[in-house]
Amino acid sequence: MRSSISSSESLRKSGRREDPPLRAVPVGPWRRIAVLSLTVFVAALAVWEGYWRSEWFVPSYRNSDGLWTLTHDRIDREGPGGTVIVGSSRVLFDLNLEAWRDETGAVPIQLALEGTGARPFLTHLAQDTAFSGLVVVGVTPPLFFPSEPGLRTAILDYHRDESPSQRVSQLLSMTFLEPYLAFYDPDTALFTVLARQTFWPDREGKEPSFPKVRKLSLTRRTRQNDMWNKVELDPEYRKIAQDTWLAFLRAPRPPPPPPEELERQFEALLEAVAADVRRIRERGGEVVFVRAPSSGPFFEAENHGFPRERTWDPLLQATDAVGIHFQDHADLQDVDLPEWSHIRAQDTDRFTRALIGHLRTALAERGTPRKELAP
Amino acid sequence: MSRLTRRPQPGRIRGTLGGGGLLFNSLTFVAFFAIVLALHYMPWGSWRVKKVQLLIASYLFYAAWNPPFIVLLWISTALDWYVAKRIHASNSRTARRGWMLVSVFGNLGILGYFKYGAFLLDNWAALMSTVGIEWQAPGWNIVLPVGISFYTFQTMAYSLDVFLRRAEPSDSLLDFTLFVTFFPQLVAGPIVRPADLVPQFAERPAPQPGRLPWGLALMVLGMFEKIVIADGALAPAADAVYGTKDAVPWTDAWLGTLAFSGQIFCDFAGYSTTAIGASLALGFSLSDNFRFPYAAVGFSDFWRRWHISLSTWLRDYLYVPLGGNRKGAGRTYVNLMATMLLGGLWHGASWTFVVWGGLHGTYLGVERFLRERIGPNRISRTLPFQIALAMLTYFLVNVTWVFFRARDFGTAWRLIGSMLAFGGGTPVLDTSVVASVLVAVFAILLVHGLMRDRRIEDVASAFPWWLTAAIVGGMLFVTVITQGSNDAFIYFQF
Repeated sequence: MRSSISSSESLRKSGRREDPPLRAVPVGPWRRIAVLSLTVFVAALAVWEGYWRSEWFVPSYRNSDGLWTLTHDRIDREGPGGTVIVGSSRVLFDLNLEAWRDETGAVPIQLALEGTGARPFLTHLAQDTAFSGLVVVGVTPPLFFPSEPGLRTAILDYHRDESPSQRVSQLLSMTFLEPYLAFYDPDTALFTVLARQTFWPDREGKEPSFPKVRKLSLTRRTRQNDMWNKVELDPEYRKIAQDTWLAFLRAPRPPPPPPEELERQFEALLEAVAADVRRIRERGGEVVFVRAPSSGPFFEAENHGFPRERTWDPLLQATDAVGIHFQDHADLQDVDLPEWSHIRAQDTDRFTRALIGHLRTALAERGTPRKELAP
Repeated sequence: MSRLTRRPQPGRIRGTLGGGGLLFNSLTFVAFFAIVLALHYMPWGSWRVKKVQLLIASYLFYAAWNPPFIVLLWISTALDWYVAKRIHASNSRTARRGWMLVSVFGNLGILGYFKYGAFLLDNWAALMSTVGIEWQAPGWNIVLPVGISFYTFQTMAYSLDVFLRRAEPSDSLLDFTLFVTFFPQLVAGPIVRPADLVPQFAERPAPQPGRLPWGLALMVLGMFEKIVIADGALAPAADAVYGTKDAVPWTDAWLGTLAFSGQIFCDFAGYSTTAIGASLALGFSLSDNFRFPYAAVGFSDFWRRWHISLSTWLRDYLYVPLGGNRKGAGRTYVNLMATMLLGGLWHGASWTFVVWGGLHGTYLGVERFLRERIGPNRISRTLPFQIALAMLTYFLVNVTWVFFRARDFGTAWRLIGSMLAFGGGTPVLDTSVVASVLVAVFAILLVHGLMRDRRIEDVASAFPWWLTAAIVGGMLFVTVITQGSNDAFIYFQF
């Protein structure tokens, strides 16, 4: 059968299909259907939101790739100077950006990421940007020294490839959803909630999955992350967090390479980090290393697996950089770590101010004071 | 070149491929569509103004992936607009054929350059190597423009219809350009025939009660399929089974494959349903692209239900012109196989897709052979026999999905071996994931079985109004609380 592509009646000929097939629309009172659909949706969502608020959830920003990219953009927007923080969740949770602003007059650019080592980001700052300010590198030994890239290194690809559509989605989410909805959190996503229920039996022969880290913090627009008060105040939830770390620490790992190979890898690592530090210094910048506190089994495992004298000390020596280790300063140890790895929210202000003081002193003693840390 | 859309790799199903664009499952699309809809229904502006609005919106939609590739859309539009006019104006058979070939080679040239260039070079190098000539293929770092397989086929159909005297060319460049660019179906179909859509742009659609809310309801259904079932319930199992390098037991191999069969249906049918809903909300009708394919009895039935717009395109513009079933039995089988092999290759530049198409071609050939020899009889018409045939069809379709999903032949053979020989290995799926797969696949099969001979519009009409409302509201709620991961639709990479 011939059919008409023509838009014009005059070109239609006999024998051709006159009209394209139109979709049927179900018969029904559509106004009432629309109202009831929306009512069901809003009512169910209200119940869901209420439930999660009763579980201590409050609206906060999502620690998303988009927010990280927006934060990273400050490097270009605010000029080549300033302070950038890279590292893992310890410097993400432990550093209080408002206290930092009070001390120095500027909010640092917080680029640390949970479960992710600092090195790819130090390299990124050294090679892909014109940054010439102060880089604060958080060193969490099990994430900084091994060769595995960590959970969220791919964020650098997202940052490079982010499309206008993704940027708009991020801004819409931050404007209309995240500040108002407590349930809009990866920890409450339907299939995440279903998967972590305890009624699922173990499967015979299946190795236990690595436990998913539950929500630990509330994220602000600046990417300041405050430890969620449920971790601190709810013993049952705190135990979940601790058990997750224990499972992580006890998880079977492939055997390490031979000692000489390990040594070679470590030397290569030091060389690469030193090269990044040199490159930033050549532009007038500076890099400092911070070992934030840990306690309990975490501290023991880190000390055992990554002894300070064989990791931290050689790092500072190879880079000729200032390093602040919490064990060297009583005021940096005077903090509460409810789940052995991160400082509770109310202690971060004091910790941050103390850390800045130690950085100022160390840099001044070295003859390289930084304007980024000037009061 | 572009940084937004990466070249597809076999087995690369989830992730960011095409994920930078204006995905239906993104907040940006929600805002975009709300603005488009509002402008479309504003009381001011002529119909021509409304169409220009839609055209601009469509270009914005495509530019969200990669602005420079709009040029390809323009080339494809201009090529077939001009060629169809020339074909229509030509009286000589040679001239008509010549212009038709300009369209075919032009469109397939664009497609070949962007989609198959690296594949051809790699295979040429491999072929040279087998005869002892070491030849290094030059780097072919060309980015695949999203939706290119869909819109090149769509514009090519326009010229072919005019060449085959099935239709006359459009007299409105605006309508034709909008047909090529219409955003709901631009990047992943359905592959709309010009005669089905261009005339709809001629005049403002006549009012139709319930069209807008039903279109929105279809969009909710499509997003539910994509976000809840495909990405939420099924993708984790398929990713785990197809992502591991170790042997998995037959249970996991089957669960992973069943999960993928459901995932790819819900992902693609979800996109098509959303596209159909978005079009309908704007007042335009697109044909069904899926009709509950997992209830198919036999493979000719399957292909009348799966990706209908592609299968009918291949039938009308490849199988029939090759001679179809008009040139004897042997030639019919060759035509069937050629059509399905090329259909497989259409999905991606990889031999695994060719094998997928070849398996379907084989199934269709065997079915045709048996039907001609045995034919329908009293037993074959009974319900138990039909159910058994449907189950056999579903089983064999799942075998083909292994090649579609596997990243390489090694993975495919390993999984096929495990599935068919009850192989052993280390389980990779947690109980919760197993439960998700079983529930979702059972639900899909149940719905397909019950809806096999029905249309969703008829079922919705038969439901009490409050039940329809509760289902739509419930689906929207579950979709929102699933908090989708903004994974791109699988068919974007094709």
